[in-house]
Amino acid sequence: MSRRFGAHNKIAIVGYAHSTALRRAIEPLGSVALRTAAAAIKDSGLTVDQIDGFASSAMLPTSGAHQSVDGLSSVSSNWLAQHLAASPSYVVGFQGHGQLTSSLTLAVNALASGAADYMLLHRALHNPAVGKYNDNPMKLARGAQQWTAPQGFFGALPAIAMVYNEYCQRYGATREAMARVVVEARNNGAKLPWSHWYGKPITAQEYMAEPIIVDPMCRLDCDIPVQAVGVFILTTAERAKDLPNKPVYVSGYANGYPEQHRLALHWTLDEMQESGQALAKRLWVSAGMGPEAIQLAQVYDAFSPFVYIWLEALGFCPIGEAHRFVLDGGIDSSQPGSIAALSGGGAIGSGRLHGLPQLLECYLQLSGRAGERQRAVTNAVFSYSAPYFGGAAILTNDPAGAVR
Amino acid sequence: MSDRVLPVPDESSAPYWAACAEHVLKLPRCSNCRKFTLPPDVTCPNCHCLDPNFTYEKVPGRFTVRTWTIIRHSFIKGFDLPFLLVDVQLDVQPNVRMIGRLIDGADAPLKIGDAVEVTFDDLAPGVAVPAFSKAASS
Repeated sequence: MSRRFGAHNKIAIVGYAHSTALRRAIEPLGSVALRTAAAAIKDSGLTVDQIDGFASSAMLPTSGAHQSVDGLSSVSSNWLAQHLAASPSYVVGFQGHGQLTSSLTLAVNALASGAADYMLLHRALHNPAVGKYNDNPMKLARGAQQWTAPQGFFGALPAIAMVYNEYCQRYGATREAMARVVVEARNNGAKLPWSHWYGKPITAQEYMAEPIIVDPMCRLDCDIPVQAVGVFILTTAERAKDLPNKPVYVSGYANGYPEQHRLALHWTLDEMQESGQALAKRLWVSAGMGPEAIQLAQVYDAFSPFVYIWLEALGFCPIGEAHRFVLDGGIDSSQPGSIAALSGGGAIGSGRLHGLPQLLECYLQLSGRAGERQRAVTNAVFSYSAPYFGGAAILTNDPAGAVR
Repeated sequence: MSDRVLPVPDESSAPYWAACAEHVLKLPRCSNCRKFTLPPDVTCPNCHCLDPNFTYEKVPGRFTVRTWTIIRHSFIKGFDLPFLLVDVQLDVQPNVRMIGRLIDGADAPLKIGDAVEVTFDDLAPGVAVPAFSKAASS
């Protein structure tokens, strides 16, 4: 699509809730989801019987060798609706990577089309009480893994490390620059009581002293697996007028999709850059604005190099320049004029929450509910995952704002 | 015998692993456009024909290093650490990319654009997986 989003600023987020990010599960994920959903519905000034639509994407509760069980280690919208004793008229889910951005767009489209009046969007992440999130005891590699695991290529960490190494080789990025990214995320996350890293900021010296595990990445470049749930309630702009919170409107969005046939988890810098720029072009057209209209950018950071990929894709700095942009203070939330790209702590500062910290921070800042870290924000962007299977959305608190 | 993860050949990959066992890299080649691909797919990712009838054919020439990483901690077991993984592209068809161990060692000097050749790690009787080594002239 190469035109402005048809439901531009006509759908709004009207409330939210999230759980504490716990390092390991102490109860079924479904229990956490039910409490969080009830809190979000209440926060929105609604009751369960009014929620007639549910959207989510349950995939990837963990990697490693764990079995996914609905209600225990993952939570589908069907499970949630049934256990809330809701009577939905529309339940929809997204299958694949790009979970949060894609399911957000499902919720928005359902409201825009009239399939539902009030949508509950949730994301639930699991980390098992015992065992390791990542360690995989496999001895035999079948199917897609036969092309990668026997060769020593075991997943997302070496995948992003190779992309990041190519970036460093090509553009001269240093660990000192990435230290700024990680310290920014951890320092902001350390101020969030619900964050796994609450009260635990780090220094650049600590980052630099951390041993490399998969070159050029250290443990601190990776978000830590947690168990947590986030819920957002959305409705039409018309209905939002009667609800207690300041609405946050969806101006536009764009999702990305892989084009190249590759080995499983074989990510490449070229494709991230190309698909990122193509996605951003659709995004700005969809929202009717450009990066110059954005005061807050919450970019995905499951692995720290994603911050560079997104800053460049979204046009906040030229390709290959994000590491210099960061060194110049471009993302520092202590500077009033910066885009404060990790003011909500991100995943590195909160836990492995698959885009929830980014969407949450955009919502809180735009609805005026960010407390001590409240910034002057009219338009914000959040992004999730890698550009070729994730996505981005533009949110605003000024639905009458100038459209170019 | 190695303690590494072993590949399990299936209908789509049996000729690949049989060739690897003989230390020959054969990749799926589309019968329609004659382009290589990896892994084999339902359709041809190059010409998008629905009936590619892939045949496994010996891959000509060398590969070029696009990027690499040194694995100092592995989530799967059986590897001697550290080791170096390279992401390489096939010179005669650069959209074919492979990832494998560089057998020259974790501290081998490397730069983007270096030429590498296919070699093999013998893991068990009749089981070998592709790896790479720096080409003599690079």
